Amino acid sequence: MTALVTGCSLGLLVCTRCRATVRAIGAESSRCPRCGSPLHARRPRSLATTAALLITAALLYIPANLLPVMHTHTFFSDQDDTIMSGVISLAHQGSWPIALLVFFASIVVPLLKLVALGEILLAVSRKSLRYAQQRSRLFRLVEFVGRWSMLDVFAVSILVALVQVQSLAVVEVRPGALAFAAVVVLTMLAAQSFDERLLWDAKTGD
Amino acid sequence: MSSVIVCHACDLAHRLDRIAAVARIRCVRCRAELYRTSSASIDTAIALAASALILFILANAYPLVALKVNGATRVATLTGAVLGLYEQGYGPMAVLVVITAVLVPLVQILTFLYVLVAVRLHRPVPAQGALFRVLAALRPWAMAEVFILAALVAMVKLAAEADVAPRVSLGAYGLLMLTLTALNAITPTEQLWQWFERSRE
Repeated sequence: MTALVTGCSLGLLVCTRCRATVRAIGAESSRCPRCGSPLHARRPRSLATTAALLITAALLYIPANLLPVMHTHTFFSDQDDTIMSGVISLAHQGSWPIALLVFFASIVVPLLKLVALGEILLAVSRKSLRYAQQRSRLFRLVEFVGRWSMLDVFAVSILVALVQVQSLAVVEVRPGALAFAAVVVLTMLAAQSFDERLLWDAKTGD
Repeated sequence: MSSVIVCHACDLAHRLDRIAAVARIRCVRCRAELYRTSSASIDTAIALAASALILFILANAYPLVALKVNGATRVATLTGAVLGLYEQGYGPMAVLVVITAVLVPLVQILTFLYVLVAVRLHRPVPAQGALFRVLAALRPWAMAEVFILAALVAMVKLAAEADVAPRVSLGAYGLLMLTLTALNAITPTEQLWQWFERSRE
């Protein structure tokens, strides 16, 4: 292959769902002949949708980390736990592998998603020519690890169901958990609405 | 005869002269996977989907974890976890947990079973495009593997202060996670469409 030829320049569209390559027939509202998904040269309003979802997620990230996610009431004490204090108490307990797992899933992954998607959106809007390869790798990493931040939401739900021994120990959900769950869902939707091809468009110049 | 495949991730066009029966092709520019078929047979896929269904029923019918306090035992079930969230006024969270830990895996398993069995019996699959889109859209939202690790985290958190033990559902859920991962691995997009096309012959 000598020059880089894109689908756009050949009048070919690719279905982002089933990956069939299809000849473009002019009409904007065409559907994939194989699976029936809508076909677009580039997903319409991809940048704006991703940006809106990402900004909402970034705002909710603040209460998600500052507000308690869980409240433990025992005979001896009452304790509020945030995402971070949950990780710290696991580390104090000496369960290092589990503490690291939760730290990674609940602290590193959400932050990585917000920063990486933000950087990618800025690069695309600046029509940056460099690092398309690195950014596409970063984007795929974000897509791949995104779901793991649901870990704490599930853990809190199980604790709530299990620890309901009246007068001895009761675990309750707190608003931080709701904000955190919203951050996970919104960042996943943000990644899904981003059209990866935008990263390469500046390079091929069409 | 050569065919053209356009990369879904960077729009680069590739001309391919011949594609082997079992192949994995990556984009030369962005390394996205353009095409993959698996060597597994459709019978393996059906067996995995059927096992997944049985494991799913076990995982939902039995308790996940047991907690022993003062001689009394309390068990947590998946439904209990969802109801607990709902009763404490966290309806949206309850819905999210039901969807990602219960409904999405169930719909995935049933769709796979229906589609694969129909293809195996050489019946045309009605609405195969729509069913394929369901499978593709659900993939990122199926979180069985995240849920199983969360159950372990919850157990470790309690282990310092109470006597906790895993129950049937935890094991079933763990096996369900492995079965679904294997099923997804042997049914890449291109493979599903090849099976669909073969069933119409």
